[in-house]
Amino acid sequence: MSSVQELVAENVSPGHGAYNFGFLDETTKREVRRALLKAVALPGHQIPFGSREMPVARGWGTGGIQVTLSILGPDDTVKVIDQGADEGVNAWNIRRLITDTSGVPTTTDSREASIIQTRHRIPEVPLREGEVLVFQVPMPEPLRMVEPSERKTRAMHAQADYSRAWVHLYEDVVRRGEISHATGYPVMVAGRYLLSPSPIPRWDIPKLNMSEGIYLFGAGREKRVYAIPPHTEVVPIDFEDHPFYVESFAGRKCQKCGSEDVYMNEVILDDGRHAFTCSDSGFCDSRTEGAGE
Amino acid sequence: MKADWVLRVDGLGKRYGRGCSACIQNTGPEQGTNSCSNCGSIVACANVSFDLLPGETLGIVGESGSGKSTALRCLFMDEESTWGNAYLAGFHNGERDIFSAKLPERREIRAAQMGLAYQNPAMGLNLLITAGGNIAERLLNVRVRSVAEIRERASYLLTRTEVPRDRMDDIPAHFSGGMQQRVQLAKVMANSPSVLLLDELTTGLDVSVQAGVLDLVRELQEQLGIAMVVVSHDLGVIRLLAGRTMVMKDGRVVESGLTDQVLEDPHHPYSQLLVASMT
Repeated sequence: MSSVQELVAENVSPGHGAYNFGFLDETTKREVRRALLKAVALPGHQIPFGSREMPVARGWGTGGIQVTLSILGPDDTVKVIDQGADEGVNAWNIRRLITDTSGVPTTTDSREASIIQTRHRIPEVPLREGEVLVFQVPMPEPLRMVEPSERKTRAMHAQADYSRAWVHLYEDVVRRGEISHATGYPVMVAGRYLLSPSPIPRWDIPKLNMSEGIYLFGAGREKRVYAIPPHTEVVPIDFEDHPFYVESFAGRKCQKCGSEDVYMNEVILDDGRHAFTCSDSGFCDSRTEGAGE
Repeated sequence: MKADWVLRVDGLGKRYGRGCSACIQNTGPEQGTNSCSNCGSIVACANVSFDLLPGETLGIVGESGSGKSTALRCLFMDEESTWGNAYLAGFHNGERDIFSAKLPERREIRAAQMGLAYQNPAMGLNLLITAGGNIAERLLNVRVRSVAEIRERASYLLTRTEVPRDRMDDIPAHFSGGMQQRVQLAKVMANSPSVLLLDELTTGLDVSVQAGVLDLVRELQEQLGIAMVVVSHDLGVIRLLAGRTMVMKDGRVVESGLTDQVLEDPHHPYSQLLVASMT
């Protein structure tokens, strides 16, 4: 009978402590990858998977982490974003977990990354072919707001019965004069499935359409993965007379890098004035470096 | 083949329970029960057949538990029927049984071709979304994608059903029972269905509101020519609305014919009892 140490030792990848490469065991990775393959084959369809206990509390990106670690290889370069920033606590901790258990290099420049794990943003620079963006998803079911029963939402998806999602938008227009979804705007994928894009701002929704890269979504608590493969049509649901639109930053400029036409955070300065900076910190850094500052 | 009916129902029946081969013989008006003495199953209705002609209104009358509501719910496919077939002129030219339709096709039939108004408006409406939103659901089902168009149609329907125009953006939970019922009527008519199924539409409403709802249904009959099946235990309602009437007891049709004929000269003892107790 072998000891725990001996069992662990057999699976250790050199230099990364007593963990398997990428923390998860190989059978778990295989199971997650199989779910992902199914997700890619059925764009927008939610695939159940056996979400594992992670050394992070559920609700803090365990779905995204499991997807990232399952597709990770020694040749990958990883970037982790939290609300656009590489410096967020959540991003730091996830990046540390990935590097400590796999040893792969990390970057803050989305152009150098092969896998980007993100919470609530899509980088400003469009994904290139072969690049993977992994979303951390709190609520994978776009119909949950109109139907609490999982059994019923599954039937609604099976029959592409999305009229109630539209009723929800209609009610919004009637009550507020416009569609009020600020984040996680529901989209139709390949004309078939309604999908929740995780709480990204409207600004990022058009980037989902006909992308060169691949979008993978992992919901650890809800035990679902789904995907938008490259070159897939993604259309936000809207009305002919109340069309989808993105946030406007017209006339605004990033205080740090001078960029216009990017998604910006509003910051209040010491003297009470309002200023704007790029939400995508990696993009902002690359712009200031390029300008030689 | 172009059917001269809009809805044909053939041998419709519904059984609850495990069932046995003797269920049909052991139930019905002769036995005076709808419960099978052999296996204990309930035969809620059986052998219900009729043709509904364009613009025609068929009444189904009978006491509580006679199977009339179950028959209607089976027709609308809220319930899975045990026996029988049904054909709609608008579904594959009436050549395919609607009970054999796949789920997406069923949804299409329920969304575009038939409407069922429930006795309890809470079943047909979502009381927590606006009256307009309830109507919108039917329109969005058939892919209307313009808010202005939805509001115009909803406004027209609510006017027709005498719901004040300025209540369109209020939730039906705050409406009276009669008003909820009228919103439900507006909702089921939203897509101009070819067949309207009305289940005890006026039961539980006070007499003056009843009269208003009945007037409305008569207007719809005359102006829009929608074919209807009206289920009621109230012979007054049936007399007012239906040209033809079927009397049901213990899950079977015991008598059918022109409404005047059934009411003036009832043949079956139960129909006689029903008519006698009316006056």
